[in-house]
Amino acid sequence: MTTMKKIQRTWKINGESRTVQFPPARRLLDVLREDLDLKGTKEGCGEGECGACTVMINGELAVSCLLAAGQVRDGAEILTVEGLEKTPGGRLIQRSYLEKGAAQCGFCIPGMLVSSYAFLRRHPVVNEESIKDAHAGNICRCTGYVKIIEAVQAAAERWPADEGKPS
Amino acid sequence: MTTPMEQLDVAFPASLPEALALMANEATRGLPLAGGTDLMVQWESGARPVPVRAIDVKNLCELHVLRGENGMVVIGAGITHAALRRSELIRTAIPALAEAAATVGGGQIQAMGTIAGSIANASPAGDLAPTLLASEARVVVASVRGERELPLASFILGYRRIDLAPDELIVRFLVPARREGERELFRKLGPRAAQAISKIMGSYRGSVRDGVVASFAVALGSVAPTAIRLPEVERAVIGQPLNEATIARAEQVAAASVKPISDIRSTAEYRQWVSGRLVRGFLEHLAGRDAT
Repeated sequence: MTTMKKIQRTWKINGESRTVQFPPARRLLDVLREDLDLKGTKEGCGEGECGACTVMINGELAVSCLLAAGQVRDGAEILTVEGLEKTPGGRLIQRSYLEKGAAQCGFCIPGMLVSSYAFLRRHPVVNEESIKDAHAGNICRCTGYVKIIEAVQAAAERWPADEGKPS
Repeated sequence: MTTPMEQLDVAFPASLPEALALMANEATRGLPLAGGTDLMVQWESGARPVPVRAIDVKNLCELHVLRGENGMVVIGAGITHAALRRSELIRTAIPALAEAAATVGGGQIQAMGTIAGSIANASPAGDLAPTLLASEARVVVASVRGERELPLASFILGYRRIDLAPDELIVRFLVPARREGERELFRKLGPRAAQAISKIMGSYRGSVRDGVVASFAVALGSVAPTAIRLPEVERAVIGQPLNEATIARAEQVAAASVKPISDIRSTAEYRQWVSGRLVRGFLEHLAGRDAT
């Protein structure tokens, strides 16, 4: 096998500028975990079904297992689970999951947290149905959904008014 | 970890003309790659061979138009399912399309997958095609030779086949907006609400005048090699009073006119029966009753 020529990208990852080189179609998941040592993002199914590898790119959700990293252009803002602690809303969600005991085995939780964050920062109408819809792309095989829903609900009640923008 | 895609070369054109120039030349053209939600899975699983080259079309701003003009909604090829479901224009002018987009995968897949990707993948289970067929959408494709516009119904040639030349890219869709009095609905059946490929799904657009069906276009997915309109059903109801007799006949005609297959997701018999039930639900919705 020949080695594909590498390309270079500079992104703002969790608020920090990082430059990395990789073959253009290397999965963003692999670039994050292996090239950038951000191991919080998990690989579950590798087929875009489970959501464990969910990250936010320029405010939109993505499963990093289905994204050729080169498609994320220079200057893009990437948020992984590691970046949540840097924002008031992210910290609130993390605390809320802890308080409600929303993690069981924990493997789905990085993706769940990022989906919760992407959801709440749009200042949506929050009810059980909208929470379920916002986390429909995240599968918890411990089936711990009830507490996850409660955690999102609790975070929504205290969501900082100035974080994110209206949906 | 090395995955098969790491052998894939990707070109990153900065504009549509640049992308079309790459596509024009056999030595530089590649498979258009947008959201990657179908292609990346197919490549990684080995279901589809990894090509020599892909062309990134996700970032072409020319493909991100979304606007209404003269009763038509112009939807750029790169518009994502998330953008469709959030758009006030789509929710008003083509509500069934917003509904269909909202049932695809989960939030992540919706934010990545594009309308052109859904159509180009040409799976009979693609969720957007029935609504686009029922609204008589047209497709615009482009190459360095110029643009070409054709009905979506002619663009979809068969199972995973579309009428796209090697040097062409899908650039936009032209979808007639719902007119005054027209109703529409998208319905889908799958094993679960999210992250599941449809067993069967469909969409209709229609209108009633003085109790008589004035117009009715209906299309189903996953009942044939491609999403299809049901002309026999349409003929059976247009001009007829919208009553139980008409609805019952339409249900029968629908079940009899589709020739689905049995596969891992459902059986032929079930799909035939559900085709009838979907058509019944659409006509009941048109009559102002809740779809069952």
